[in-house]
Amino acid sequence: MDGKLDFYFALRKQKTIMKDVYYQPPLKASRGLYVDNPNDITVYLMESSGGLVAGDTNAYSVLLDKGTHVTLHPQAATKVYPAYNGNPSRQQVQIELGEQASLTWKREEVIPFAESEFHSHTTVNMKKNSRFYWEEILYPGREKRGERFTFDKCHTQLEVWMEDDCLVYDSLRFEPSHQDVKHFGVMGDYYYIASVWLIDKEIELDVEKWNHSSADHQISITRLRDAGYLVRFLSNDLPRIKKEMDQLGNQKLAVSV
Amino acid sequence: MRRQKEGSQSHLNTEGINTKFLYLMHIHDSAFPIGTYTHSFGMETFIQEDLIRTKGDLFHFCQMYLHENVAYTDGIFVKESYQEEELAELIRLEKICDASKNAEETREASSMIGKQFVKAVLPVSDTPSLEEWYQLLQEKKVIAHFPIVYSLYAKDLAFDLYTTVLTFLYSSTIGLVHNAVRAIPLGQKAGIEVIHRLIPEMEKATVNVLNRDLSNLSNHAVGLELASMQHKYLSSRLFIS
Repeated sequence: MDGKLDFYFALRKQKTIMKDVYYQPPLKASRGLYVDNPNDITVYLMESSGGLVAGDTNAYSVLLDKGTHVTLHPQAATKVYPAYNGNPSRQQVQIELGEQASLTWKREEVIPFAESEFHSHTTVNMKKNSRFYWEEILYPGREKRGERFTFDKCHTQLEVWMEDDCLVYDSLRFEPSHQDVKHFGVMGDYYYIASVWLIDKEIELDVEKWNHSSADHQISITRLRDAGYLVRFLSNDLPRIKKEMDQLGNQKLAVSV
Repeated sequence: MRRQKEGSQSHLNTEGINTKFLYLMHIHDSAFPIGTYTHSFGMETFIQEDLIRTKGDLFHFCQMYLHENVAYTDGIFVKESYQEEELAELIRLEKICDASKNAEETREASSMIGKQFVKAVLPVSDTPSLEEWYQLLQEKKVIAHFPIVYSLYAKDLAFDLYTTVLTFLYSSTIGLVHNAVRAIPLGQKAGIEVIHRLIPEMEKATVNVLNRDLSNLSNHAVGLELASMQHKYLSSRLFIS
């Protein structure tokens, strides 16, 4: 199945509204909710099929007009089923941010099952004064069933362009049967990779706080060249990743308010 | 007569290529001042964590570095910039190269080495592409990442793509071994042994790089990336990155 979800957010009397939405099952959007404040609209992204089966493609297109503030919240993790027919599952996300617009994409979680193949590509075009926050967690498989890097391929790519400048070009291509995934320079004994991208020219974080390492959880932060930070995790402690991601989300709010 | 002339020319050509090879050897001399001896690209964090202690550990680390990092990142940038004829596209390629290096220290190391390299070879070489790149560097239109300027230099000197990628991989790996020998520390003999074991790996990695393009870029060596991010917080450091 090919799911589709297209959004257009605009301002009406200084309030961000979902001016237009088009969807094609299994993708669907919730109504717009005003959770934190009336200037920030939150929309839940729903997927009714329960996961991507070989050959499925989900495509998202998100357009934010000048001055709009939007939070998109995937309702559940993306489960990727085995590619028995040899066709990979795909997800495409295209985001356009207008002047002074900000978009937060909450925790995009991907669980590639054994023998699955998944390709996701997210492209963001933004302005110098717009802001973009992206969180993602990649699982090694259904770990409760003992699946750890038993998928065939899992490729994710995030690219962010600020006019002609490339701010982020991060590809993670895992093909465990051909790679030395267990080496400490790759995953070592960790199972989860998580990333928080905060693309915001004004944000300042306490870097010491987001840099620590223990046997089952590592987190580190780096400044991106032109704007903001990447906070990256390698961990076996999923609840802790989620807790720290939420703390980072709060920091972002504290700065942007 | 004509045949004789062709013959002598081909002899001269071979001689020319062989002599040219000396230029390439020269820039890979450990005394060549481009600063590789000051960068560990995150390796020092692992050495301090006691994860690289023996020559066996060092070999496996460098093997991982080659196959899971360089052959999915800088190796591809060397290949792509060698094949790129359009200047605008080359500039775009370098922007992608810059953005793909998440860890600030590694990103800075790559551009520091690249700039030093251009400054070292430009006054003594006839390299029009590098000359043009240096102009752009002065106008702050480019950054001069090492894989890009290395590729321009090798192409200007008429080395083929295979040699260009192979020697770049050699340069990237050998620098780490030299630095590890000092930092762990290991004996010189151990270093030589590791390098000899790595040479066939460099050949395999080069073949892989030649079969890859931008769509194969990958930062999946996340442990190394975090080690590079954490490097600036180590309490004592021998290397800049």
